Amino acid sequence: MFNALEVLQPTILERPLNTLWARISPLYCVDEEQWLTELLKLAEPTDAQLQASTDAATHLIEQVRKDDESMSLIDSLLLEYSLDTKEGILLMCLAEALMRVPDKETADAFIKDRLSVADWASHANNSESFFVNASTWGLLLTGKIVTMDESKDGKPANLVNRLVNRMSEPVIRQAMNQAMKIMGHQFVLGRSISEALSRGKSYRDKGYTYSFDMLGEAALTQQDAEKYLASYLQAVESVGQDTYGKGHRPTISIKLSALHPRYEVGCEERVMTELFESVKQLISRARELNVGITIDAEEADRLELSLHLFEKLFRDDCTKGWGLFGLVVQAYSKRCLPVLNWLAALAKDVGDRIPLRLVKGAYWDSEIKLCQQRGLSGYPVYTRKEATDVSYLACANFLLSPHTREWIFPQFASHNAHTIATIATIADNMGANANEYEFQRLHGMGDALYNRLIKDKDVCVRIYAPVGSHKDLLPYLVRRLLENGANSSFVHRLVDARCPVSELVDHPVTTLKGRKTLRNPFINLPKDMFADRNNSFGPNIEIEAEWQPFKASVDAFMGQETQWTAKPIVGGDSLTTDDVHSVKSPYDHALVAGQVHWANEAIVNQAIEQADAAYPAWSQTPATDRAACLERMAELMEQNYAELVALCHREAGKTIQDCIDEVREAVDFCNYYAQQARQNFAAPKAFSNYLGQTQQVQLTGRGVFACISPWNFPLAIFAGQVVAALVSGNTVVCKAAEQTSLIAYRAVQMLHEAGIPTDVLHFLPGNGATVGAPITQHKRIAGLAFTGSTGTAQMINRTLASRGVAPVPVIAETGGQNAMLIDSTSLPEQVVRDAVRSAFASAGQRCSALRVMFVQADIADRVIPMIAGAMKQQSVGLPYLHSTDVGPVIDEKAQQMLLDHIEVMKKEGRLIAQSELPEWAERGTFVAPSAFEISSIDQLKDEKFGPIMHVVRYKAKDLDKIIDTINHSGFGLTMGVHSRNETTCAHIAKRARVGNLYINRDQVGAVVGVQPFGGQGLSGTGPKAGGPHYLPRFAKEQLV
Amino acid sequence: MTIVKPIQIDVANQVFEAWNTLGVQGRAEKLEQAIYSLSHEQAQMARWQLANARHEIGAAQVMPGPTGESNVLSTHGRGAFLTAVQAGLNSEQASVGLIGQMFAALVAGNPIITVGPEGQALMDQLAKYVPQGVIQNIAESARDSIVEASDLAGVAIICDPEKAQQLSQQLAQKPGLLCQLVEETDLVRLSTIAAPNYILRFVTEQTVSTNTTAIGGNATLLELGSKAE
Repeated sequence: MFNALEVLQPTILERPLNTLWARISPLYCVDEEQWLTELLKLAEPTDAQLQASTDAATHLIEQVRKDDESMSLIDSLLLEYSLDTKEGILLMCLAEALMRVPDKETADAFIKDRLSVADWASHANNSESFFVNASTWGLLLTGKIVTMDESKDGKPANLVNRLVNRMSEPVIRQAMNQAMKIMGHQFVLGRSISEALSRGKSYRDKGYTYSFDMLGEAALTQQDAEKYLASYLQAVESVGQDTYGKGHRPTISIKLSALHPRYEVGCEERVMTELFESVKQLISRARELNVGITIDAEEADRLELSLHLFEKLFRDDCTKGWGLFGLVVQAYSKRCLPVLNWLAALAKDVGDRIPLRLVKGAYWDSEIKLCQQRGLSGYPVYTRKEATDVSYLACANFLLSPHTREWIFPQFASHNAHTIATIATIADNMGANANEYEFQRLHGMGDALYNRLIKDKDVCVRIYAPVGSHKDLLPYLVRRLLENGANSSFVHRLVDARCPVSELVDHPVTTLKGRKTLRNPFINLPKDMFADRNNSFGPNIEIEAEWQPFKASVDAFMGQETQWTAKPIVGGDSLTTDDVHSVKSPYDHALVAGQVHWANEAIVNQAIEQADAAYPAWSQTPATDRAACLERMAELMEQNYAELVALCHREAGKTIQDCIDEVREAVDFCNYYAQQARQNFAAPKAFSNYLGQTQQVQLTGRGVFACISPWNFPLAIFAGQVVAALVSGNTVVCKAAEQTSLIAYRAVQMLHEAGIPTDVLHFLPGNGATVGAPITQHKRIAGLAFTGSTGTAQMINRTLASRGVAPVPVIAETGGQNAMLIDSTSLPEQVVRDAVRSAFASAGQRCSALRVMFVQADIADRVIPMIAGAMKQQSVGLPYLHSTDVGPVIDEKAQQMLLDHIEVMKKEGRLIAQSELPEWAERGTFVAPSAFEISSIDQLKDEKFGPIMHVVRYKAKDLDKIIDTINHSGFGLTMGVHSRNETTCAHIAKRARVGNLYINRDQVGAVVGVQPFGGQGLSGTGPKAGGPHYLPRFAKEQLV
Repeated sequence: MTIVKPIQIDVANQVFEAWNTLGVQGRAEKLEQAIYSLSHEQAQMARWQLANARHEIGAAQVMPGPTGESNVLSTHGRGAFLTAVQAGLNSEQASVGLIGQMFAALVAGNPIITVGPEGQALMDQLAKYVPQGVIQNIAESARDSIVEASDLAGVAIICDPEKAQQLSQQLAQKPGLLCQLVEETDLVRLSTIAAPNYILRFVTEQTVSTNTTAIGGNATLLELGSKAE
């Protein structure tokens, strides 16, 4: 464990840079309890220091409360519409979306949706701010008017009300847009740097200075990146021309994700060349004009990449000797201290000082959520606010220490009076002059606090001020504000005279040490997300400390010397046959992953007979024992993670993250079905029957179940079907898709190792004719689970029904013609990101993949070019490379079918974009991701299982017609919806006949036990895999 | 096989959405009113099916998962169901079973089509409590045309094992969706119809996943982050 106190020794900066670098990544998800114990030592004040900082904070707060100066408008607004109230959130939702809605119908519906559900009246006249009260009255009135239209029973209201509504709609819309503009005006300093400079003069007169930022959405296309670069350059020019002599010179803050459409670890090479050049261009001009540049901090996954880039820029001649090129580091990150340590050593090594803004961090919510979704080993951020505050002060101790100050110019960004007072105290203790550090605050927040500080202390305060059009910036700012809502709470308490000052000056070290545990017990680790089972684990390939060992373990199976052989397994024996097939890697047909011995009819019959004989004993085996086998299987798969990932690469052509998700899903199926079986199969359940008598019912197996699985999820769906049948008490014969039998063979070996008796589970590789047909013709088959095409499902069903035995359950999961509906309230950047992932991830070879995107005509001309731009940024290539987004399709037959469809679409539709294929693509079976605009979903006769997206424009008033058309296609698997209007979302959810509906996110990647998956109509029979009703369909319900 | 679409299927499809939208509770309330016109045993079966539906599928299920997203699993009807007793098997017990089929199919959200005079009698008793078209009846002679119709979601029937086999084969021949056969061959105990999971054969499931942090904040997490111990 990193020794935190060590950073206070001046010799720390003598250490080799690579030694200090090596300390960063391992702390990514370090055990919070252990690491905070270490960090507390660095943050802990002496008694005298504690007293001094408490006194200073108390004094500061008392002074602020005495000051007559009114709060800033944003402070007032947040005070009244606190983000923990419904109205606060609703107001922010409006602010986030309203200004971008181009059509009045959607805008009116959205206003009605937001305003009709809140209690605006309770906020009337509460605030001392005229602006807040005016807004409240506006919201209150409009809220009343928009709710008049319908009475509660849904009948049309009377004519007068409807008249009021109709007449007032434009007025309301204009008023609301005006209100949002006013809000935008408060949040954004100016539409251009010159306006911002002009508006900022009064603050500069008081002693403040600025860091301007054109922040907004991340760039998804090259054009966006170029646009942002131009606007940053323009900002540099404007600030460079600033002649307002007072105070410190303003600087510019830049967001790297705005300057490159693929600022991510997988694209490191591009980041280190293309993005490097863009930033270098900015720096060069900024240096000529003497305008400091600061790189903003973004998500935790990008931290290490951002440091690599920073180092390269910092060592470049364009920066050397300048001293005004800096960056932001987030204290909520567990890696913060070693990052600062390395940066100080880097600065010393190069010989230039780094201006460094220490912030607490604004992406806390999404960091936590992402880790839970990806099953990571922990969190990169602290789970308590006071732990972040402790980290902040610990880092401040390092930054203000004399040996660090020489190389780092610390800039402390906070709106917390205690933090500010404590920093000042630490600075005094460390002997730092007021010109050796500065404070930073956000435009519009913390005015009262800093106005007081600036009067009392001759210290520089820099205001971080967004600049740009309100329409572009407000959505981004509001989202950050909402995400960072906790920070606004201090504002409330600071100005609320009822809140005793003593409560505001608790030292975070004292607060944290007063807790029973240092980590927050209410935020479970990702592995403990489910109360009754383990969550599957996934490594984070964006983080060096996790990626390097993971890659090395997978690489061990990637060489041609590693070959697998799959054979039929009957009664535990692997049978050699003379029908042997080579498995070629889809990305390069010259490469072979192994050999498969196909079964034949005799082997099929032998397997079914053995399975039939084994059924009585297996069905009598306690369900808890059967469940334990599944849990052992889950463990075995995690132990053999690397081999399974390599198999997914080499046999199925899956990309790295897809491979990880594949193993995780298989593990989740095992753990979930084990838990379901323990809950529902272990003992009979009593119920009151229709005659009023108490009766027992027991779920038992049905006999020999056949499982026939597809190649697109060669491990997850294969294992999911098999273990569901097994744990329900059935014996199983299983056939994997002929393209992916190697991984299935390994899975069956592991299931036997996990304790499934060898006469209970038999593996029958082969194709439909050699193996599928004899299985489905066999009279002993008591049930069948199938995932694949609708046509094959029908054929299987017919064969089973014609055997002359009692009907058996057929659980079929088949295709889809999946749509995504996008209205004009949605955020185009989110839409494009989610649509591109939904349509092209896994080369579109997911049952759930997006096939037809319906985009409201009013925003189509903005969204469609963005999709084209984002598709141009996709990298099609070798699936085992981190840089690859889209791998090959499974085989030549699939490739040809897709290429034929592309040719048809080129004639019948309009090509929007096609991603580029690598030069060597013909070595494997690649299909360029393609998007076409068509006029109707009716132009598509069946599902095209690959990376082809179709786009249809629709008019807002035709939404219901569109839903009807989709319903009439007969398919009903997945649907995506992007809209900020909850009424619209609810309406679509009510009407759409689909199995899985995804709102404001992508529409792929259903998680077992969280998003039970499966369709209706032509898309499948149900019940849903990974849901609570799945196992009962594999069982008989016996009244006992 | 010639696929036809009888008018009854069209009618059922037209009323399906509205009936399904009422939800289990809404449908059960309407169907409850019809119970009083039934015989004692039929009423017992009907009442039990409604109670069982409320218990098994009455409420949407909130699934566990990461903070910042909501995942809700609910059930819906599958579409038009034919509910019938095999010709020649009619008895008092069979009519109890038929009521079980009808109530299960209806409360699950499906419009139903009954057959023959017995079906007509039950339809007459029930129809006034549900929207028009939710229950329809056809003559015995038209049964095959419904069985063979495209868009028929399923057949629930009380029959002997041979009939079940024959029907299963007949349904499998149809193109389009896999039409469900929900057969009861235990006329004495009605062991399929009178078991708790029977209702699940009449439903399809929907999962609605919402990214509740789409506009930024994650209220649940903020609450957890500041929750006192």
